[in-house]
Amino acid sequence: MRKHLLYLLLCATSLLPACTGQPKDFSKGEDVSIFPDYTGITIPANIAPANFLIMDSARKYITLFESGNVKVIVKGGKVRIPMGKWKKLTAHGDITVTVYEEKAGRWLKMNPFNITVAEDIDSYISYRVISPLYESYGRLSLNQRNLTNFKEKVIYANTMASKGEQTQCINCHSFRNWHTDNMQFHVRQYLGGTIMYRDGNLAKLNMKTDSTVSAAVYPSWHPTHDYIAYSSNKTHQNFHTNHTNRIEVFDDFSDLILYDLTDNSVSVIENSPAEFECYPSWAPDGKTLYYVSADMGDPDEFNKRGGAVMANARGTFKYSLYSKSFNPDDRTWGKKKMFYDAAALDSSITWPRVSPDGRWMLCCISTHGVFPPNQEVSDLMLFDLKNGTYRYADEANSMKSESYHSWSSSGKWVVISSRRGDGVHTRLYLAHFDPENGRFSKPFLLPQKDPTHSWKFMYSFNVPEFTVEPVRVSARVLASFIKSTEATPVHYTQKREE
Amino acid sequence: MNQKGKSNITGILAFSRWILPIALWVILSLFSYEYLIKVEAKSLFIFDTFWLKDFLFKPSGILSCFSLFLTQFLHIPWLGALIWVLLLTASAELTRIVYRIPAAFSALAYIPAAIFTAYGMSIGYAVYLIQLPGFFFMPVLGYLWALLTVTVLRKTGKPAYSAVIMVTWGFAGYYIAGFYSLAGVLAASIDILLSERSRSFRLLSIAAAAVPLVLAPVAFAGATTYNLHFGWIIGMPEENYGLTFTKMQLPLILAMSFLALAPALRFLSRLSGKTVTLIIQSLAMAAVITIPASLWYRDDNFKAELGMIRATDNQQWDKVADIFDKVQTRHEQDSKWQPTRAMVLLKDLSLIETGKEGERSYSFDNGSQKQNCDFVVSTAVQIGKLLYMYYGIPGICNRWCSEEAELYGFNYMTYKYHAMVAILLDDTQAAKSYLGLLEKTIFYRKWAKEQLKLCGNRQLLTRTAPYDMIIPLMCYDDRISSDVEGCENYLLNHFNGPLPKNTTPLYDRVALFFALDSKLSELFWPRFFRYLESNNPSKMARYYQEAAYLFCKIDDNGLMERLPFDEKTETMYKTFMQRATKVGMKSLEDARKAIPVYLRHTYYFYFYYVNELELY
Repeated sequence: MRKHLLYLLLCATSLLPACTGQPKDFSKGEDVSIFPDYTGITIPANIAPANFLIMDSARKYITLFESGNVKVIVKGGKVRIPMGKWKKLTAHGDITVTVYEEKAGRWLKMNPFNITVAEDIDSYISYRVISPLYESYGRLSLNQRNLTNFKEKVIYANTMASKGEQTQCINCHSFRNWHTDNMQFHVRQYLGGTIMYRDGNLAKLNMKTDSTVSAAVYPSWHPTHDYIAYSSNKTHQNFHTNHTNRIEVFDDFSDLILYDLTDNSVSVIENSPAEFECYPSWAPDGKTLYYVSADMGDPDEFNKRGGAVMANARGTFKYSLYSKSFNPDDRTWGKKKMFYDAAALDSSITWPRVSPDGRWMLCCISTHGVFPPNQEVSDLMLFDLKNGTYRYADEANSMKSESYHSWSSSGKWVVISSRRGDGVHTRLYLAHFDPENGRFSKPFLLPQKDPTHSWKFMYSFNVPEFTVEPVRVSARVLASFIKSTEATPVHYTQKREE
Repeated sequence: MNQKGKSNITGILAFSRWILPIALWVILSLFSYEYLIKVEAKSLFIFDTFWLKDFLFKPSGILSCFSLFLTQFLHIPWLGALIWVLLLTASAELTRIVYRIPAAFSALAYIPAAIFTAYGMSIGYAVYLIQLPGFFFMPVLGYLWALLTVTVLRKTGKPAYSAVIMVTWGFAGYYIAGFYSLAGVLAASIDILLSERSRSFRLLSIAAAAVPLVLAPVAFAGATTYNLHFGWIIGMPEENYGLTFTKMQLPLILAMSFLALAPALRFLSRLSGKTVTLIIQSLAMAAVITIPASLWYRDDNFKAELGMIRATDNQQWDKVADIFDKVQTRHEQDSKWQPTRAMVLLKDLSLIETGKEGERSYSFDNGSQKQNCDFVVSTAVQIGKLLYMYYGIPGICNRWCSEEAELYGFNYMTYKYHAMVAILLDDTQAAKSYLGLLEKTIFYRKWAKEQLKLCGNRQLLTRTAPYDMIIPLMCYDDRISSDVEGCENYLLNHFNGPLPKNTTPLYDRVALFFALDSKLSELFWPRFFRYLESNNPSKMARYYQEAAYLFCKIDDNGLMERLPFDEKTETMYKTFMQRATKVGMKSLEDARKAIPVYLRHTYYFYFYYVNELELY
């Protein structure tokens, strides 16, 4: 009994530093350096603890978090905030963080910084985990992270079906209206096909037809009707010899197609022989499709040049932004309209994504090409569709590449893929968005249990997509389905024009 | 044979039990150290919970992790070899103890260890392609786990307890050791079946053993992300990229099958007659020696390549050429011998690095020996990252680091070269990430700390080896390309492409060297004059003279009189042409027979006889 009491006492003592220990005698320090940089950020109230590492060199560290009458103290340079206490802090509103550092026997109180707590974010984010800069693929997975904690689960991994040299690429996962009851992704090569999950039913489709250049690639679910707009690309990648970009992804061909889920048919949206159309994206009312396209000049001349020359002529590939009206009831298309002539401004625009309220459109702008994640610099550009104005979203941009981005279902948050960390691995950053004035708050690295995660994790996260609920079909069910099912061909129908 | 003679032989055999491991250790340390270092270089163990956690999500991951921990000690070959040999010896001695194998038959217990030795040392070129982390130590550790399984499961008391323990241990063991654990459970059930326990105990145990044997792979496949197809063999190298079942899995299955037969060995003591004993013991001992000896991969070129790769990685440039030279000397009388392309390319690189390419490059035999294996390891996979790094093409070096990491897992070398690429391209943060991980290793920590000092310090970088020789080669404009047609062709095209505007003397020298390789005078002349201008050599190197002389003859461009050729260049040309006229056009192998060494080692011989080499 005495032993047990002693043990309990020891345990209680060990917990004490969590609620006491704030130095009383200290001098004033300077700004604290932490990684990830969570100073002055705005976070969703339901986000997982924003753990960080204090980068200043000191003998001891004490970090005090204050929100209303809630105080939490964490000792040590690796600041990991217990989940329960973090939830109490965020429930009370904005947080003030004060770091104390002991150097040469003296405590320094570093300048406090604030974390603003805003409205909740969608609880889940799905992304692909992929090794950067390679051609072969041994290990790829689609994962889902619960943003309210650190739990991550695999939606599907290619290792579940690959056998020896028979490997799979998996890509382009997409959800309809932030819900997971309608989901799709592609499996390439071994046992390949487009995996369609709809209301509990799985299907595997072969989206390549004799009348389209390739299978379906980049998707956009129609928000109100049973359509998915896709680009159909023949994609290659080549390598830079002597540049931080390292790799260049480009298309040999690309068109736009529409898949009608009700009759399992595809039709062409745009397939101009002189254009490379890509990245379709619906406006929230489903009556306008935005996409990007590059003019290749004379197709005959172009095709004579071949892939390698084309790759080296990357500077000439500039994508502009177009829109096209659509009547979802009778599936008819209007004429294409130039929306933003990026090519004329010697730049290239990609990944148009319209906010859920339909007012804002966020795009990626870079010097050239169709795939900015691998470029040294690319930035986000924000269009105000109400006023017809646009600007670089500089408060969210960095000196490195910003690429794939998604809106949360509320339109108050965006997730940005960025290489601002080490320039090689794409990491996910969240930023608050004020739909009234169209301003982003300072983007912050997606919190991880181990704050050094992004230094040690040698894979990239790409194609982040918010969902309000978890994916319900298990990875094993998907694997079993993919292994046991032949892809069903889709049939081709004629495009309808106004 | 009289009794004394027999007992002497038995004594010798018993003595051999201890001599053999020592002999194995000595052989490994003295003759196979390059291979052991390669095994280590292809592995990775980082003292970091973040990295270690990755192994927890796959059955046999823990065993893999232990294997990787031990593999790192192969960095000091004698130490790693000692650990391996001790484990092999332990596996044999424990087999003897666990199965109560009579001393007179003790050599039988060494058969699994002999198979593991054969497996480990027969890998050869597969070392470049094998995908299992910790593949070298894993089988013997797995075997020890299986022995532990047999020992634990055999000691259970009541049938009900036995069944529960069998199932629990079976599942837990599968998570820890995968296939090896399943083999242990199977062996334990056979052991119990042959024991003198009650019928109900035996039946229940077998029924209980069947549960993890059938269900553990299914259950773990449900909880993790590996293909159930591999569930029962997880922990063994997969058949892949030409690595066959026979080479990768059969030896391990055979070794583990020994555990199924071992329970019967205790009955050997019932055999009467010392002659029978002696015969069995002698046969077993012969098998123990013969199995590894016959399967041990021995190939001069393979060994030379490994040595050259290591010397290149350590920038011991003279050693690279010396290794080539030694192999060539050993095969001087063998007209069929040729170097592999990897040897030729590494030798050329080393000569360039030491500035001796003009004097020595064609004094070595050229050729394209196919690798001594029934699959092909491309030059890019073998040495791509080395060549691209030291020839100043960091982007493609990075590509091969990434490909290797993706296909065969991260290893020390991929991190090392990733870090070097990032340092060269001023990606300081990326370099720090890679170096930060290498700082958490035992044997690469020091290197990583040194490299960290170079991050972001361009001035220091340009003065520090090996970057001082790499940066001058990066004087060309970046371009987008791919080496799908092979590493060697890519290098040829890279240096034989349009000359950059502002080249360095080193670049000019390398470009000239590759122009010689191309045999094209239109590439040679501009590079030759640019080399003369920028390098301003006091004396023109032998092979540059030979090439210039030959192209003067071919082009008849009037330069012959204006260039200061040595008399020897002209004499050698005439002698060669006389001999070549007699010999006529022949295959490289026949030309090697017909033309004496001193003429073979000329640019003229390369120009006329080294043609259409198979590139890998």
